Amino acid sequence: MPRRLAAIVAGDIAGYSRLMEIDEDGTHGRVKRIVRDLIEPSIVEHDGKLVKTTGDGFLAIFDSPVEAVRCGIVIQQNMVGRNASLPKNHWIEYRIGVNLGDIIIEADDIYGDGVNIATRLEGIAEPGEVYISGGIYEQIKHKLVCGYESLGDRKVKNITDPVRVYRVLPDAAAYNGARKRRETALIFLLSLTLMIIGGGALWYLLSQFSTRGTDRASGAASSQATKASPQPQTALSGAPATQQAASNVQPLAAAPTVPQVSSTPSPITSGAAAIHEPEMTPLLGGTFAMGSNEDISEKPVHHVTIKPFAISKYPITVREWNECAGAKVCTFVATGKDDAPITNVSWSDAKQFVAWLAGATQKSYRLPSEAEWEYAARGDTQTKYWWGDQLKHGMANCKDCTDAAGAEQPVKVGSFDPNPFGLYDMGGGVDQWVEDCWHKTYQGAPSDGSPWSAGDCNSHVIRSGSWRNDATYVRPANRDNYDTNVRYPTHGFRIALSR
Amino acid sequence: MKITRLVILSGMLTMLSFAVQGQDKPAGKNAMVYFVWPQNGATIKGGFWCRFGLRNMGVTHAGDDYPNSGHHHLLIDVKEPLNSSEPIPSDKSHLHFGAGQTEARIELPPGKHTLQLVLGDAKHYPFNPPIVSEKITINVK
Repeated sequence: MPRRLAAIVAGDIAGYSRLMEIDEDGTHGRVKRIVRDLIEPSIVEHDGKLVKTTGDGFLAIFDSPVEAVRCGIVIQQNMVGRNASLPKNHWIEYRIGVNLGDIIIEADDIYGDGVNIATRLEGIAEPGEVYISGGIYEQIKHKLVCGYESLGDRKVKNITDPVRVYRVLPDAAAYNGARKRRETALIFLLSLTLMIIGGGALWYLLSQFSTRGTDRASGAASSQATKASPQPQTALSGAPATQQAASNVQPLAAAPTVPQVSSTPSPITSGAAAIHEPEMTPLLGGTFAMGSNEDISEKPVHHVTIKPFAISKYPITVREWNECAGAKVCTFVATGKDDAPITNVSWSDAKQFVAWLAGATQKSYRLPSEAEWEYAARGDTQTKYWWGDQLKHGMANCKDCTDAAGAEQPVKVGSFDPNPFGLYDMGGGVDQWVEDCWHKTYQGAPSDGSPWSAGDCNSHVIRSGSWRNDATYVRPANRDNYDTNVRYPTHGFRIALSR
Repeated sequence: MKITRLVILSGMLTMLSFAVQGQDKPAGKNAMVYFVWPQNGATIKGGFWCRFGLRNMGVTHAGDDYPNSGHHHLLIDVKEPLNSSEPIPSDKSHLHFGAGQTEARIELPPGKHTLQLVLGDAKHYPFNPPIVSEKITINVK
């Protein structure tokens, strides 16, 4: 029976059955996501091993007590962020206990006093906190920069000797400070809302009063104007001058009609049927040399064979994105100009868009693979840029490569020359997500043009560089990565279609 | 009808007030960002785990607008001064940790390098005043 000394981390969710009662499917899904996206990677990152997960908890072992506690802190700090946007009764909060002990290791479980003590510590920990035993404390007290509050010796169930317990304060002052500040912020917001509603009511009453005043004064003209407001186009021809006059005389009276107009659903959703599909450019495919020797991430240069496929002529625009938002699939309505590229989207947002488009059109729309993107960006060239080896002014939208510096960014799609394949903005403009998970180099990359999905999928590949990057980022071989679920203001995407 | 109008009106006003406070987030009192590892002047062989410390504020996911919290950015060999009126750039010398990471595996070519941490708000803007670590120099062998 193999025995060894290990730092044991036990965690479970406080009030799991209560959460399951509120929303069984939702809670189950969220917990699974947390285990996949946070718990498992955090354990691996700290050189630990996940022993098992139960419905509401997990058990892991670490060689190093410092890494074990650090892993606990990372999990707790991340959970704060994950809960932030939810109402308090939906919070998922872990209690975590860490103990150092001699354990018996079997294929899929661990046994021993040490394990029991870790789970007891977890049991007495407050939600969101990490409790450690005296044994762990002795190992880490001078190594890990954080506070420790001694809770004295505690008698724990079925263990003869009392256990010395410490509470870990990753950041004592911040913890209490944040809580107080959160309360004041909430009260402030509440009173702000009340004040605004009160103010709005007052304003409305006042404006109603004065509308009635002008009604009587200017008679038919202004009543025509108010009647016209839901359909401005048809009515404007009737009495544009009078309407303008009425609103000039009494600007307050015009204000309440504004939300009314904007509250009618956008034409896209009311039109429902026709989806405006992005313009796609078919490409023949073939074999090309992917990568370059300019940066370690672009090595080694390797041959890839691309099957015929189509790629969108431009990055996806605000207008195209908002059709998805109008269908209530994409989670936010973009505010930029209609023909500007969509920005501030995460990889997951981009995936949501292609899934919606594919479903709505019954076509296999998807994100391009990284290899397909570079093939399309090169346009059958092997030079540094698609137009040659020298940077040419005005060829792409990047920092220091245009005079558009003062322009409002991002400029509309297709503002620069297309590459030899007739594709616009393949380099510069907006960064573009592709399907592949991030790999630091091409060592082991597929050669058939398929997306490379294994690896570090907490971040995905972005291509093209943006208007905020310099000329090295415009090169078709350039590659970078970003957190999968994080939005950034220069990140957009284009789409592909299998043929 | 009147009530709907009223609700829409007040809703719009509330949104307006939020839009205005989009950036220039106040820094936490006595907030401090620092390197747990490496220390200034350290000599390092090969890749290393860079560990980020934050005092008096919390680390959260980018996009989560939560008071008194932010996420880390690591600036490698950056010479330009920080522009507080723009989101922190994203490129090979400005690494973002928007998933709430508090450490990262860093691999740098041999030679002297500078490292600096900057805390960003939900929209990747620096706080006001900026929460910035000491710029440390390390020597990679």
